[in-house]
Amino acid sequence: MPPAYHLRLNKAVDRLSFIEAIRFLGQLASLSGYTYYCLGGPYLEDCRLLYEFYPEIKMVSVERREEVYKRQIFHLPCGIVDLRHGEFKSFIAQYDPKDRGSIFWLDYTDLEFGNFEAFMALLAKVAANSMIKITLRAEPRDYLKRPDLFREKFQALMPNPSANPPATSDAFADLVQQMTQIASQKALPSELPHMFQPVQSFYYSDSTNMFSLTGVVCPRTAQDRVERAFKDLQFANLDWRRPKNIDLPILTTKERLHIQRLLPCNTGAGRILREALGYLTEDDRQTTEMKLQQYADFHRHFPYFMKATP
Amino acid sequence: MSKAEQTQYTPVDASPVKSFFVHMLTRDIKLEEAILDLLDNCVDGILRSKRTNNNTKKPYSGFWAEIEFKSDSFSISDNCGGIPWSLHDYAFRMGRASGRSPDGPGTVGVYGIGMKRAIFKMGKHCLIQTQNRSDAYDVEIKPGWIADEKEWHIPVRAAKQRMQQDGTTLVVGDLEPGISNRFGEDGKAFKSDLETMVATHYAFIIDKGFEVKINRDTVKPRPTRLIFDKRPRGAKKEIIRPFIFKTKTHGVEVFLAVGFTRPIPSEDEIAREQEEKKYSSLDAGWTIVCNDRAVLYCDRSELTGWGEAGVPRYHTQFIAVSGIVEFRSDDASKLPTTTTKRGIDASSQLYLQIKNKMREGMSIFTDYTNKWKGRADESRKQIEAGTPLSFEQIKLETARLPFNTTKKSVPAGEQYRPALPMPRRLEPRNRRISFTKDIDDVKRVAEYLFEDADKDPSAVGEECFDLILKDAK
Repeated sequence: MPPAYHLRLNKAVDRLSFIEAIRFLGQLASLSGYTYYCLGGPYLEDCRLLYEFYPEIKMVSVERREEVYKRQIFHLPCGIVDLRHGEFKSFIAQYDPKDRGSIFWLDYTDLEFGNFEAFMALLAKVAANSMIKITLRAEPRDYLKRPDLFREKFQALMPNPSANPPATSDAFADLVQQMTQIASQKALPSELPHMFQPVQSFYYSDSTNMFSLTGVVCPRTAQDRVERAFKDLQFANLDWRRPKNIDLPILTTKERLHIQRLLPCNTGAGRILREALGYLTEDDRQTTEMKLQQYADFHRHFPYFMKATP
Repeated sequence: MSKAEQTQYTPVDASPVKSFFVHMLTRDIKLEEAILDLLDNCVDGILRSKRTNNNTKKPYSGFWAEIEFKSDSFSISDNCGGIPWSLHDYAFRMGRASGRSPDGPGTVGVYGIGMKRAIFKMGKHCLIQTQNRSDAYDVEIKPGWIADEKEWHIPVRAAKQRMQQDGTTLVVGDLEPGISNRFGEDGKAFKSDLETMVATHYAFIIDKGFEVKINRDTVKPRPTRLIFDKRPRGAKKEIIRPFIFKTKTHGVEVFLAVGFTRPIPSEDEIAREQEEKKYSSLDAGWTIVCNDRAVLYCDRSELTGWGEAGVPRYHTQFIAVSGIVEFRSDDASKLPTTTTKRGIDASSQLYLQIKNKMREGMSIFTDYTNKWKGRADESRKQIEAGTPLSFEQIKLETARLPFNTTKKSVPAGEQYRPALPMPRRLEPRNRRISFTKDIDDVKRVAEYLFEDADKDPSAVGEECFDLILKDAK
């Protein structure tokens, strides 16, 4: 049984990294001119966070399922989220940016050709300096025994349409990233004045492997400016490098408080934190240090989940 | 004095200008197609060299072509025999001189523009190094030569060193800005498109052993396979097999097969596919092959007979119907292709005759699809009893099929017309019932019947019907 949506550790870090990326977007244009569009899910967790950090951004959530929509009304984190009940595909068809910046999070739970089509449709429609994040299922086991099905579905976007999809999660996430890159090149070919500049990409698993990429649609002539704006973003990916893994350790609050004072560390964080704890938190030393390095990398975004009795 | 009396009329200069070849002809062809033209030259080289072993299933085995591109250059290398010096007049001249005999059995070059057009499409500088037996020479086209309207001779020099195998390497530099962007900024998307195009248009040749690499990745063929039930006909008279027609006419051998690539889709599948595109590629439609090279791939338009003369227009319900026509001739000028070799000359008399047969064969399978509509599950069993066979495998199977000669129809030839299973009753025994109800009412009934408000609405409707049916009985 996967953990509840709002308690997914790695997803929470990905979400907070996105919030951080939006802060950097503010260097391109005032955030008060942006509208955030999302598939908010039952708890509107991203809207809640966005309101906490950037109350000036207007928000629109689109939900297809009526009961989830009703649940969203119940969980409305503030009065500035415009909840819409309908198909996202239909929403994109009707969407008119009116030259205003948009921030989209296409937070899918599956991997379908239609998801890429929606992404491509958006790239061609949004105004310059808009940000788009797309999250897709990137689970190699889905196609391990059915590589032909993968090719039938995605051949038009595969970097090597003759090859079978890879069996490991990191290579599969990289393949999905390359497919996203090809989708962006097809939606905005170099003859057009706008381009899609990636800024951040991750893959993670909270029981299912997911891939997530954030980028900015900008004029080709402004690519340098966008790269400069995001160069100091933690784990910025400005040149389609392989996505970074988010794989956080399970630590108690006491452990976290104990190692917190040693952070940030410039080098060898995994070893330093392991030595500070004085024991292994995983099966072996290498995995422990790797996981603690992850903690060091993402500790600022690592959420505290507390149990409370109502 | 009138103006006509003042002007001295002299013969006008009608000689071609280079810009016509460099800027005009290149507009008629897509970049991917121009590169396929270069691959065609590689294969023509193999056929010219007569080094293929036609007695094996892999006559092109051992021959390869490697394409490499990046933002500042393009290259294609092969070991396909090179360009004999005796052919230089054809290979490097703009257009084919009249009266020139066909290039060789199985080749596709007709107009003498493919290589030059591909070069000019991409850039202003080109070096061609080729070796054929004792001939080994380099040809270099420079930007200055292209700009000079008077100079029509291209310098040739003897190669400084010999290659390991006979073949050709062509390198294009000084790329046009748009091409440089496609190879660079859009490089990943371009490679994906080019590889798919090579995998589909060169499926037959690659299947026969030819190896193509694009930026070091080997291209695997993507041939269309038609369902062929191999059980002896006596065991079951009605059987799923392709319609096959073959003939030799106008100096061209024609082999046509049309059938099913997969089970026919259910109504749910049709509805889903129309709502949201599930597959980025489909095998449905017609593929036309000339001398082993596909000139049209999975076409679903009137060009291949869809929506004409009693054949329905293409629709998702016909997703399983696919056909292949192969034209083969030693004289490439007799093949019904356009100058780009990636299109069909729709006015060709030969093609129009064959198109009649394409429609005839296709309607057997569209009719089957319509007859079994709503009974996709029953039909699935019939289709899945067969084996998907490649075009070459179907050709081998034809030896065992009872062909009828068609002398009085045009074109005359031999054909195998399968007797496809048809429903015993014209009307299906089952009827589809569909209706819509308020979502809250559906949930209420679902809770009542299954104690599960989220039960699939179709299951809820079906259960309601079954309950009433019990009472009615």
